[in-house]
Amino acid sequence: MEAPSASFPPVDGLRPVALPPESLHPALWRASQVGRSAGRTLATGFAALDAELPGGGWPAGVLTELLLAQPGVGEWRLLAPALAALQQGQGGGALSLPRGVLLFEPPAQPGAWALSALGLELRQIVVIEGRPPTAPGRGRPALPGSDMLWALEQTLSSGQAGAVLAWLPARLRGDALRRLQLAAQAHPGPVFLFRELAARLKPSAAPLRLQLGADGPDTLRLQVLKRRGPPSAAPLQLALSPVLTAAQRARAGRPRAVVGAEPATATPAAGMPA
Amino acid sequence: MWWLALHLPQLSLEAFSATLAPAQRAGPVALLDAHRIAAVNGAAAERGIRPGFKRATALALAGELLIGQADAARDGQALQAVAHTALAFTPMVVPEGGQAVLLEAQGSLRYFGGPQQLCRRLRDALAPLGHRLRLAGAPTAAGAALLAQWGAAPLDGDPAWGPHSTDLGQLRRLLDGAPVAFLGPAGHEHAAALQGMGLHTLAELRALPRAGLARRFGATLLDTLDRARGDCPDPRQPIVPAPAFDSRLELHARADSTVQVLDGAAVLLARLVAWAQAQQARVGGFTLRMEHERSARPDHAGPPHTELTVELAEPSADPAHLQLLLRERLARCELAAPTLDLRLHCHHLVKRAAPNGELFPSRQGEQEGLTRLLERLRARLGDARVQSLQTQADHRPERAHRLQPVAQLPVSAPAPSLTPPAPALPPAHPALPLHRPAWLLTAPEPLAVRGETPLLDGRPLQLLGGPERIEAGWWDAGGLAMRDYFVAQAADGALVWVFCTRLTTPSGWYLQGRFA
Repeated sequence: MEAPSASFPPVDGLRPVALPPESLHPALWRASQVGRSAGRTLATGFAALDAELPGGGWPAGVLTELLLAQPGVGEWRLLAPALAALQQGQGGGALSLPRGVLLFEPPAQPGAWALSALGLELRQIVVIEGRPPTAPGRGRPALPGSDMLWALEQTLSSGQAGAVLAWLPARLRGDALRRLQLAAQAHPGPVFLFRELAARLKPSAAPLRLQLGADGPDTLRLQVLKRRGPPSAAPLQLALSPVLTAAQRARAGRPRAVVGAEPATATPAAGMPA
Repeated sequence: MWWLALHLPQLSLEAFSATLAPAQRAGPVALLDAHRIAAVNGAAAERGIRPGFKRATALALAGELLIGQADAARDGQALQAVAHTALAFTPMVVPEGGQAVLLEAQGSLRYFGGPQQLCRRLRDALAPLGHRLRLAGAPTAAGAALLAQWGAAPLDGDPAWGPHSTDLGQLRRLLDGAPVAFLGPAGHEHAAALQGMGLHTLAELRALPRAGLARRFGATLLDTLDRARGDCPDPRQPIVPAPAFDSRLELHARADSTVQVLDGAAVLLARLVAWAQAQQARVGGFTLRMEHERSARPDHAGPPHTELTVELAEPSADPAHLQLLLRERLARCELAAPTLDLRLHCHHLVKRAAPNGELFPSRQGEQEGLTRLLERLRARLGDARVQSLQTQADHRPERAHRLQPVAQLPVSAPAPSLTPPAPALPPAHPALPLHRPAWLLTAPEPLAVRGETPLLDGRPLQLLGGPERIEAGWWDAGGLAMRDYFVAQAADGALVWVFCTRLTTPSGWYLQGRFA
């Protein structure tokens, strides 16, 4: 509250009133605070993460980008609590969200037993695969992923799906993302886009961007790259639902390679225009 | 009795134009019947082409004139679609001649809120078929047909609402001024002779002695006059929709691309929906058959026709939805040869009451929306690409789950979920550790080995959990798996699932999945 009163000196004896910006407009927030999401949010199931996200959870109706070097760092265990809550009709307040969870072009086969052990209801999961790249496209040479982007846009603008998880092709053009962001406004639930780590350096229309990485067994390192609010300094360490027993975890060594790679991944420039 | 007559003055021209591309439709179009121009559209009329001209005269006036052949069968199918649509308003629907449909709507007047309201709704219902309409209402069927055909100045000043009367006396006064040429087929036939005798209106005709008129022009003329004036009974037989739908459309120009096919198919789909709605049914699936042009060269004999079957997960009577599905399906399909002729056949009709509309968002409505969305995705991407995930009872990880094309997501049935319903948020940590990885590789990836340690991406894996021995599948040919599974930590800290084959040569390490 110091900075605003310094920049607006008192005029004619009127004291500047430190109005909470939310009272002026729900979409306003101070740069120094974590923003409140105007739309609905879905609790992540991780208290530490909820505290870092504007609105206290995964935002609905906007894109959320998750950047990871390769699949398998713990993304399912990160999202599972929120998705399970959504499928049981507990997400998002009085009116429940649609419950379908749609996966677009997952990088590998989702393991059915693991997902149901994580609390997801398999019957509400739909996997949508794109055309194989080697398809004999005699008629028209389709752009890579153009079908998928079409399907994704249709899904988002229809507003019938609960949560959407999409693994986007590499080197996606920026206008495609903006289109998706526009379409997502009609979507009632959260939209998670998984992208390669290199996309970190490119601007994106998604208002929330997170970088995920493994940090030892059953631990996820999560760095908030972009959010409505101040840049977050330290990466979060989230304890995921365990695969290993405590004894096994004790045996696990600190990840060796990550120690060396730490400066490169853990301190992305805080002021970077994400 | 209150009859409503729909007169379609341009029916045969509109039935022909439906097969044309929009650009052609805008230009001058004429129909030829027995070497004379039978009907012209607006653009042709502007050039001065009139019905009755010879072909050469018309072409001299407009060189780019598109001339089609009149086809009574095509007109009949178009008129039938109009009659089917009208069945939504009253069961008593009678096609009259080749250009009109009569509805006995006395019983429906109160329900639809009066004649004017009924006519407005009828126009809206008929709009997708794209015909120009003239409406008239009268207490007698023949009278209504005559008034609609005549199309005299509207009485109430509402141009959408033609001449009409609800009272027999008023109708008789109105009919007295009507031209004799509109008095049914007989009047049309003898129009020139009557004209020559100085008989222009029905009043003049009626003033003549009946016996003489009957001798001169036959009994039909007087009979029609009597029925129009309500002097003698006029029983009619209502139309009954055919039990199966099969409609054909000959394209004017051969269609080389699926886009052109879609233009024609839209007409057929509108007819299909009209037919289905006449029976209070919804369409569950239809087949579009495209007859191809015969290749002149025998060595290039392609298939004589292509059939495209569209199955709906949820039966629908919404032409826009059906057209959307067909468009996506057509976009995927490649024409083997130019198409000349379209045929739409409905093989799956669902005669069940349509589900109620929902006032508030509900699980049912939401599920329906998702089903429709998936249907659209399936139409574009292919049925096999939209899949649902299922567990299977097998120990081998590659067979423990199955992706199969999604037919229909279950509607909020009591779900026998594997997890007990959690009180609030399900805990981020289930009680038991995860045994299976969330990502499974389609085919196990062989790993390099240094000494005894498997390597992933050139870095050693640290085995933390296991071994878990899986030996199963001796009953499947080639499916025998003898493996020891380990949970291992990769160099970056992520956990992976690897196995070591047993008792096989060469034995080796493989990556099976990742604990995402």
